[in-house]
Amino acid sequence: MAVLKAETIIEAKALYYSYAGEGEDSSPALNGVDLKVDQGEYLALLGANGSGKTTLLKLLNALLMPSQGEVLVKGISTVEAQKLELVRQACGMIFQNPDNQIVATTVEEDIAFGLENLALPSQEIRRRVDAVAGRLGLTHLLQHPPHLLSGGEKQRTAIAGILAMQPACILMDEPTAMLDPFGRFEVLKTVKDLNKAESLAVVHVTHNPAEAVEADRIVVLERGRIVADGKPEEILTDLKLLHKLGLQGTVAAELADLLRQEGLILPAAIMRNQELVESLCLSEQIS
Amino acid sequence: MFIGTDKLTHTYMPGTPFASAALKSISFSLGRGSFTLLIGPSGSGKTTLIQHLNGLLKPTSGKVYFDGQSIGPDKSALLSVRRRIGLLFQMPEDQFFSETVFDEIAYAPRNLGLAENEIEESVIKAVERVGLRPKNLLGRHPFQLSAGQKRRVAFAAVLSIEPEVLILDEPAAGLDPSGKLMLFDLLSRLNRTEKITILVSTHHLDEIAALADNLLVLNGGRLEMAGKAREILARRAELQDLGLALPQVTEIMDELAARGLPVSTDIYSLSAASKEIIRLKRADQG
Repeated sequence: MAVLKAETIIEAKALYYSYAGEGEDSSPALNGVDLKVDQGEYLALLGANGSGKTTLLKLLNALLMPSQGEVLVKGISTVEAQKLELVRQACGMIFQNPDNQIVATTVEEDIAFGLENLALPSQEIRRRVDAVAGRLGLTHLLQHPPHLLSGGEKQRTAIAGILAMQPACILMDEPTAMLDPFGRFEVLKTVKDLNKAESLAVVHVTHNPAEAVEADRIVVLERGRIVADGKPEEILTDLKLLHKLGLQGTVAAELADLLRQEGLILPAAIMRNQELVESLCLSEQIS
Repeated sequence: MFIGTDKLTHTYMPGTPFASAALKSISFSLGRGSFTLLIGPSGSGKTTLIQHLNGLLKPTSGKVYFDGQSIGPDKSALLSVRRRIGLLFQMPEDQFFSETVFDEIAYAPRNLGLAENEIEESVIKAVERVGLRPKNLLGRHPFQLSAGQKRRVAFAAVLSIEPEVLILDEPAAGLDPSGKLMLFDLLSRLNRTEKITILVSTHHLDEIAALADNLLVLNGGRLEMAGKAREILARRAELQDLGLALPQVTEIMDELAARGLPVSTDIYSLSAASKEIIRLKRADQG
């Protein structure tokens, strides 16, 4: 029986990056990172402020060039200047603040912006814009000026603009930090659907453990190095590691930990609210 | 009433086809030394309201009060209001413009015309209050700092003129978990020990809900609910209808109660949840 191996979309090899002009006391922002992201993989990137998450994302998108090492996007090195368009087309980026990434005066123009830069025929642009708008439920908003959209709608417009480029991977830097609970739900569901249905790889930087729960894999950065790489249920319940790095587990994992310290006997791998609730309904033991 | 509004209405671009009512007859009052959370969906008017409390916008109708006075068009009175009410915008580090951390924090005291030694004193005091060490920091360029440090520098810039009221718009956005907890500790300390009146606009109630005395809920420009935080947080169905999320720990307590465990659901922090569950388990055993 043949086993199909997923294609590697992103490969970072021995990646170093140092911001020019930093004081002599500062170490490189990325200090030897090796990372592979496969087709269809949903990777969450955790780490304290200043650990190098955003720097890594920018290197994956060729917004920054490695000081040492290299980044391959679908086998193309990001330093190959003449192929930059291919790299950015394969890997689109969503930023934290939706207002910083919307460029056009209507939603449809914003979605079409990248395609116009690729100089595609206008019928093809029309077709793709309509298709992604339909896919993301934005059709009724196509003529709207983006500044009148909700935060969630703005982020989905940005995602649509990337999706229209038919990428293999989407990079997201805390895409829900500025959104209300409904907008957050809207954006996360959209991305998860695309990840599952279209095998889109996702690299999602987040400070919210509840968002990382839904990933296939979590990579944790500290001072520009990868210090943990595993499944959500391994990483998000390893509170010793997370606390040492200034991070937290899920609320359920944190609460379970406090309860264990008070002598309550609970299973080790509690990550989701539901798991904690089930355990508490069963457990009578207190030591 | 220490700070509040009376029938405050704000319409953007009035008299044009684009006129939109952002605030509709809002009245509330907050006591000196109180800690208040302002919540509501995106576009409900939170940021517009905050700008009024600092005199940055003029009411279309109605009034804004501060310490017994109406905040009006009188420029010198407005200056004193802005000195006494510190406002921290969303992502405040996006507005850094100085070459050094020192100059960034010294901007407001300098504008107040303080002597250079007084300016230095207030900068150092402000930096220490937010838990940063002035020595390694003040000479650096603000853009060289980590996100958590930048946020604290922005905070220090507001504290440098020693405001009596702090108004903060989504202050924890973009901070890592330890940065968030540090910020909440700082807010709690400023409120409880230094008696600074605090108003925080936020979408995220985790942990911070436990600090609040009052809650204001905006929806579509109307003040939908206002009152004691605990009483409003107990109105679960209404909050849910507005698309507002409870603290996750509260959701866990609600779920336990729904499963028939006799736990209190008036719980908004991890430590309170842990105490309540342990109380229940001990009671079971005893």
